[in-house]
Amino acid sequence: MNFSIDRNAQATVLRIEGELDALSAPELRPSIEAIVNEAPKLVVVDLGALRMIDSSGVGAIVSLFKRVRASGGKVTVKGLAGQPLAIFQILRLDRVFETTAG
Amino acid sequence: MLALVIVLKVPASLQYRDVAMRVVAAACKIYASDARTEGPGLFHEQVVSAFGEAFNNALFHAYRDLPEGQLIVEVGPAEGALEIRIIDDGRPFDPSTVPVPDLDALPERGMGLFIIRAFMDEVVYRPGPPNALSLRKRF
Repeated sequence: MNFSIDRNAQATVLRIEGELDALSAPELRPSIEAIVNEAPKLVVVDLGALRMIDSSGVGAIVSLFKRVRASGGKVTVKGLAGQPLAIFQILRLDRVFETTAG
Repeated sequence: MLALVIVLKVPASLQYRDVAMRVVAAACKIYASDARTEGPGLFHEQVVSAFGEAFNNALFHAYRDLPEGQLIVEVGPAEGALEIRIIDDGRPFDPSTVPVPDLDALPERGMGLFIIRAFMDEVVYRPGPPNALSLRKRF
C-alpha cells in the first residue's frame, strides 16, 4: 500500500494505492489522524488505484468519514472499481459516501 | 480432504496473508474458469474477499494472545462449488454468537463474518481441535 496526501485550496486529497488491509491499514492511521486534526471542509479519497480492500481498510476510511463529518466537513470517494467497489456495495457504503467514478 | 485440492500451510501471521490470497485467486482461475472472473462483484473477487476476512478472523480470534501457530488452507472443487477450508489449532469460536453489524451505524469493525456470509453460498464452522471453517461458492 502506498498513499499520498495533497492539500489544495478546494480539498484534501488522500490517494491510496495497492492493498488497504489489516496489514497496511495501521500505517494509514497517523495520517488520518493528521487530516482530521486539520478540520478540513472537504476530503476526497481517491481509490482509483486501490486493488484490494478488506474490512480493516474499510474501518480506516469509515473512521475518517465519521470524524471529518463530526467536525463539519465532508468526505467523498472517487475511483471505486473492482473488488473495492464490491466491498463498498455489500457494506452499503456506496449509499453513504458521495462516490464518483473518475 | 477435498479431491483435486490445493493445500497451503503458512504461519498464522498477517505477513503470509498475501501469499494465501494469491493462491486462492489462482485456484479460482483453475477451478472456476467458467465463472465470471473479471469485473466488479464477480466470482473471484467475492471469493478472495471472503477468504481474506476468514484469514484475518483466524489470526485475530483463534490465535489471539497465543504463540504463533499455523494455518492450513485447502482449496478445491466440491459438488458444483469451489470450497475453501481454513484449518487452525487456535481457540474455537461460535460464529452464531457473532452479531450482524448494524451497517446504518457505520461500524468500523466486526464486518468480517458479514462479508464472508454475504459473498459465499455456504459457511460451515467445525470447532476443533483443529478448527475448520469451510466456505463454498457455487460455480
